Amino acid sequence: MTPRSEEDTPGVRRAWGWVAHLLDGGTTPWRDWKGEGPSRGRVLPGAQQLELLRRLNLAGPPSPALATRVVEASAPGRGRPDLELAGAVDPLAFGPPPVDPADLPDDELLRVAAGILADDVVAAGLPDPPRAATRRPWARRYRLVGDALLADPVRAELVARGRPPGGRGSVILVLGTDLGQMLAHAWTARSLAEGGPGWRDWLDPLARHRTLPPRIDLVRAARAWSDRVGPERVRIVLDPTEIPRLVGVRRPLPGPPEISADAVDLARRVGQVLGLLAVPPRRRALLHETLLPRLVAAGGPQLVVPDEHADWVHTRAVRMRDALLRAGYPVHGDPDSLLPVGRSGASEPSDAGALALAMRLVLEEGRS
Amino acid sequence: MSKRVLLHVGTPKTGTSYLQDVLYRNRRLLASADILYAADRFDAHFLAALDLMKLPWGGLETEAVGAWDSLAAKVRDHHGTAVISHEILATASRSQAGRALESLGHGSGTEIHVVVSARDLVRQIPAEWQENVKHRQALTYGAFLDQIQDPERKSRIATWFWGVQELPDILNRWGHDLPPGHIHIVTVPPAGGPRQLLWKRFSVAFGLDGLDLDLEAERANPSLGAPETALLRRINRAANRELAPADYRPLVRELLAHQTLSRRSRSPRLALPPDVHPWTQQVTGSWIAEIEQRGYDVVGDLHDLLGQPPVEKYADPDHPVERQVSAAAVDAIKALLLESARLRQSEDRLRHELHETQVALERSYLRPTYRWREKAVRRLTASGAGRGLLKAYRRARGRSSRPA
Repeated sequence: MTPRSEEDTPGVRRAWGWVAHLLDGGTTPWRDWKGEGPSRGRVLPGAQQLELLRRLNLAGPPSPALATRVVEASAPGRGRPDLELAGAVDPLAFGPPPVDPADLPDDELLRVAAGILADDVVAAGLPDPPRAATRRPWARRYRLVGDALLADPVRAELVARGRPPGGRGSVILVLGTDLGQMLAHAWTARSLAEGGPGWRDWLDPLARHRTLPPRIDLVRAARAWSDRVGPERVRIVLDPTEIPRLVGVRRPLPGPPEISADAVDLARRVGQVLGLLAVPPRRRALLHETLLPRLVAAGGPQLVVPDEHADWVHTRAVRMRDALLRAGYPVHGDPDSLLPVGRSGASEPSDAGALALAMRLVLEEGRS
Repeated sequence: MSKRVLLHVGTPKTGTSYLQDVLYRNRRLLASADILYAADRFDAHFLAALDLMKLPWGGLETEAVGAWDSLAAKVRDHHGTAVISHEILATASRSQAGRALESLGHGSGTEIHVVVSARDLVRQIPAEWQENVKHRQALTYGAFLDQIQDPERKSRIATWFWGVQELPDILNRWGHDLPPGHIHIVTVPPAGGPRQLLWKRFSVAFGLDGLDLDLEAERANPSLGAPETALLRRINRAANRELAPADYRPLVRELLAHQTLSRRSRSPRLALPPDVHPWTQQVTGSWIAEIEQRGYDVVGDLHDLLGQPPVEKYADPDHPVERQVSAAAVDAIKALLLESARLRQSEDRLRHELHETQVALERSYLRPTYRWREKAVRRLTASGAGRGLLKAYRRARGRSSRPA
């Protein structure tokens, strides 16, 4: 049996000619390609891989090794299979219909690009761990909970300074900021940890049920810790400049990573593939320590809650502020800073933006 | 290097769980016949397939890192026949299939055989929707049917369905550079036939005839009726957001679907809507014509793939008889109550054990000798000489009990 893409027909020869053209750095779209070439492999690469290579050639150029990796890649995870080129083969009664690669949605190209980027992240490995500072026995004992994007960098920095969290009599610092930003932070933190649905698929059901994810429900977090250690040891921290004083250090502590909406979505997609390339602790470390710095460096507009959700987020924030004040926890910072404020940014990530960023990172890696 | 590899790549709902269960439980007996079924856990080949295809699966993929390469290495190290079986391999892309075949020794002297077991779309379509519902999906049967009949096949549901069901395309991806005689299609007999007929067909395709295998199945993937599937879909809609995948699997899929609702065998069965039946006949007819031309080894009868005629009394799971759904829901509540009671008893027992342990610990702390020893250790650790003495004592005693 010979499948369609392996027949020696003018259409298949045209397709192999285009593959050679792209591997040589060409940028001609498939529909304008007229040349022919000999077979270069077991099967024709999929339309997604070839179109991604064409776009990389436009943005690049990619190294020959990267070009070869792209045509040999398979899109990971669920989605459309490797598609045939329309015009190279005749449509049959079975199999997915052939496509013009230029018509493929960015999402399909992004699947392939995320797989290649995940391989790059694994190959880059983890940076050398910082020299562990000696533990300071006199350090003030604390725990940081609440908004993970606020708490994680602070905790990591304090650990590096020899002040790990925990210990008998720790003060519980529940970190928060305006609720709109905390929602964006919660999805970002999730995307950089266990992954999960896209922004709107994650946010819209929350809006429908008017609920908050547990991690940024400061009332719930404070109550849980209050039940464990007593309310006198729980503090609500809404002003980040107060944190150094509360944990007993002088030098300032880092804020949340400034990562664009497109970059978070890309991290989420890369993280899905990394789940099959690295065990969970290493996967998380690769995302945070290897990929995240590159995403932060790329810049771009940060994620904000879409206007259509402003009302319920505001109502929820008012309820959170009132509940915290009613419970009597000491609040460091203005309680009204929990109320959402208008911020400029992207109300959702775009596939085109995430694809452009993925291509940029893949090209950078190919050059380094 | 294996002489021969039998690679069973699908399709789902064709008795694959039963086959894999028999192979796993009989792997030692198979080894004595020089047949390798390399699995240290029953789902080893599933994990290998996830790894090969970089397929996330509700968190299970974290256990799959490196699983394909590990399986392929075991197969290459074996010198007889090796069997690999998992139905989700059906959805592998051309390049993934190429990588898999190469890693198993294709092109380096190993004789690779691809086996595909196939069942008629008349049964596969409702079964696939039900499988979706058992994996947390909440889409209606009507929406599912619309998506799989869309010629563009752009949705994830349609992509997956055709990826694992479209026989000629699966065989293109997996078998295009294998001789037709090395490709074996096992057809699932029509419902109501002899129970052992499918196993006999598998046995012929895998060359297991003559081996005295234990055929008692421990694992199966039982099916649900129309009202039970409708109930499960409603549960998904209501609980998906709150219930983590790790809890969904044991509580909904196993306890409710497999252990409870599947036992309600008198409810109307899930079936193909009669108006969709002619379309399946057309699709399957084109497959049969294509496969007959290709000259594969068919174990069974390709015309089994046409399936039964349309059902006369169709039970629509999107508009179920509410009385039947309520009855299923009562069974589900009963099962959950019994499970809760079991967990409460278990919790009580553990609490009792913990209490007894705490009492015993406190008792040992209260002994005067313990307090003297504790005081002595505290004093000794306060000075360098004391610490040296303590170290010497511990060395003389012969075991390490240095404080953490």
